[in-house]
Amino acid sequence: MAQVTFDPYLKLEHLAGHADVTRAEKERLISKVMADRRFPDYLYGCYECGICVAVCPSARFYDFSPRRIAQAAARVDVDLMFQQMEEDIWECSQCFSCLRCPRGNNPGGIITIMREVAVEEGRRSAKTALEGYSRIIYKIMSTGTQVSPDMLQPDAFPDWGPEVKDVSENLSLWRRALPPETHHTTSTGWDVAESTILELYVIWLETGALEMIKEVDTGIHMILEEIMEERLEEEGIEI
Amino acid sequence: MANTTVAVIGGGPAGLAAGASAASLGSEVVIIEKLPFLGGRPIEENYASLTPYLRSAEEAMGEVIDHALSFENLTVMLDSKVIAVTGDPGDFVLEVQSGEEVVSLTAGSIIVATGFQHFDPGRETQMYGYYEFDDVIALQDLEAMLKEGRVQRPSNGEEPKRVCFVQCVGSRDRQIGNEYCSKVCCGVASKEAIEVRLAVPGVEVFIFYIDMRMYGYWESQIYWPAQEKHHVQYVKGIISEVLPKDGRLLVRGEDTTMGRPMEVLMDLVVLSVGMEPSMGTREIAGILGIEQNKYGFIEAVKGPLDTVATSREGIFAVGSALGPADLEDCSSTGGYAGARATAFIRSHAKAGI
Repeated sequence: MAQVTFDPYLKLEHLAGHADVTRAEKERLISKVMADRRFPDYLYGCYECGICVAVCPSARFYDFSPRRIAQAAARVDVDLMFQQMEEDIWECSQCFSCLRCPRGNNPGGIITIMREVAVEEGRRSAKTALEGYSRIIYKIMSTGTQVSPDMLQPDAFPDWGPEVKDVSENLSLWRRALPPETHHTTSTGWDVAESTILELYVIWLETGALEMIKEVDTGIHMILEEIMEERLEEEGIEI
Repeated sequence: MANTTVAVIGGGPAGLAAGASAASLGSEVVIIEKLPFLGGRPIEENYASLTPYLRSAEEAMGEVIDHALSFENLTVMLDSKVIAVTGDPGDFVLEVQSGEEVVSLTAGSIIVATGFQHFDPGRETQMYGYYEFDDVIALQDLEAMLKEGRVQRPSNGEEPKRVCFVQCVGSRDRQIGNEYCSKVCCGVASKEAIEVRLAVPGVEVFIFYIDMRMYGYWESQIYWPAQEKHHVQYVKGIISEVLPKDGRLLVRGEDTTMGRPMEVLMDLVVLSVGMEPSMGTREIAGILGIEQNKYGFIEAVKGPLDTVATSREGIFAVGSALGPADLEDCSSTGGYAGARATAFIRSHAKAGI
């Protein structure tokens, strides 16, 4: 575990934010972030020059600053890092423009780690952030394709014009009109080979990617686990 | 007969470089030093090590002293102070108080190497309490401690758990009158911060700064390692006051880049004091009748492309007598002035003045 020192700043309790979470719990979570093996390569020292904010697309639209992410981590400011984990990091688009840091820091990478910890730990923020993505998680983990044609609800995209409705009604026909045969699908983005699916399932299970969503979306996790184990069992593959 | 002697006033890093340079070119050199030993501030103030290589100050200065003393045409007067100078360029007469007696010597050219002194933190307009709290010390106090191989709180002899440096004490301040940057304190503080981190396991070290000025190679030699390898915390924001609290020291400031006020408890506060002209520099300017700038340093009248010429012909100034200077500046201006003084003497000899 990385050493997390006591926050040097004498802040009043209410200024620390998230008073419902104990200091010990915050320290545990932040230690986990800092113990990640990628962490030392993502944070050297910060000039506080702000170039990462200057190039950050999210910073233009939200009260979000990759500089503050790097600084909080450099200062080992546990309270602030926790607050960022619950709030700021979900406003990052993970485009990694911030990699142009003159010191070689990677604020976006620090955010990746913080997000992974938040997801693993089933933090409320992660649940909220991923709420709208249940179907996508399900789709990508069960089929390997992220968006399928049948997921597009005609009423949800009025700006696409009246043709969408027509296309939805005859989806299979329209798809078969596409030249590549691999696109003649409606429930997956493209045709996925059986061997690929099996390989994917092994990867999700072996790498802990499936385990990762256990805390954040119990329902989807349960369904996926069942599908995967059953399918692998049919093929006689043991994990 | 033309006078072939170069008188160097001051035996610190710049004076020694000037003396060795002039001697190596064939001039007769006399170094006049007011203290009973050579080496200047690094020796007088017990510096532990020199920036940026953390080399022992005694060892490094010892080499410089030995090199100067290796010239047969270079002599040293210790415990000696110039009290009056008469004569003209090419033929100066110096009255030197040497111990009990006053001796008179002649020189064709004079090099002023009278140096700086550390800013007295008692004059600081912020409330740092240097003379009030035992655990508020200055850079050179910490140097002396490091030289003895210890880092302790003077109040109780315990090892500090949290140490901070406050930058720009006595520098860049219109209220005090020192509007200049003292040039070396960022590097020296960072160097000492590294040494504290190495000396005390688990100690937290902070540097509160206005902006870090780590020129050229100091960036990767000191600044980056301090931050990346030794985890020294650099916080942009200057401390307004130091207060006693529960046996520790509370420092108050703003973490400006985070946009929040800050109150932090420290065990040891180190004031990064700047440079001021030494008493010797102020006195010799009057004795020689050479121009000083508004801060009392010797004015290099010809500007950046002639760093050592003063307002009087045949008199050159070097090192921190000219203003804030690092060791590179001292040896560079010293070496240059040694050559210039030698050339001046020879041009006078040829002219037959």
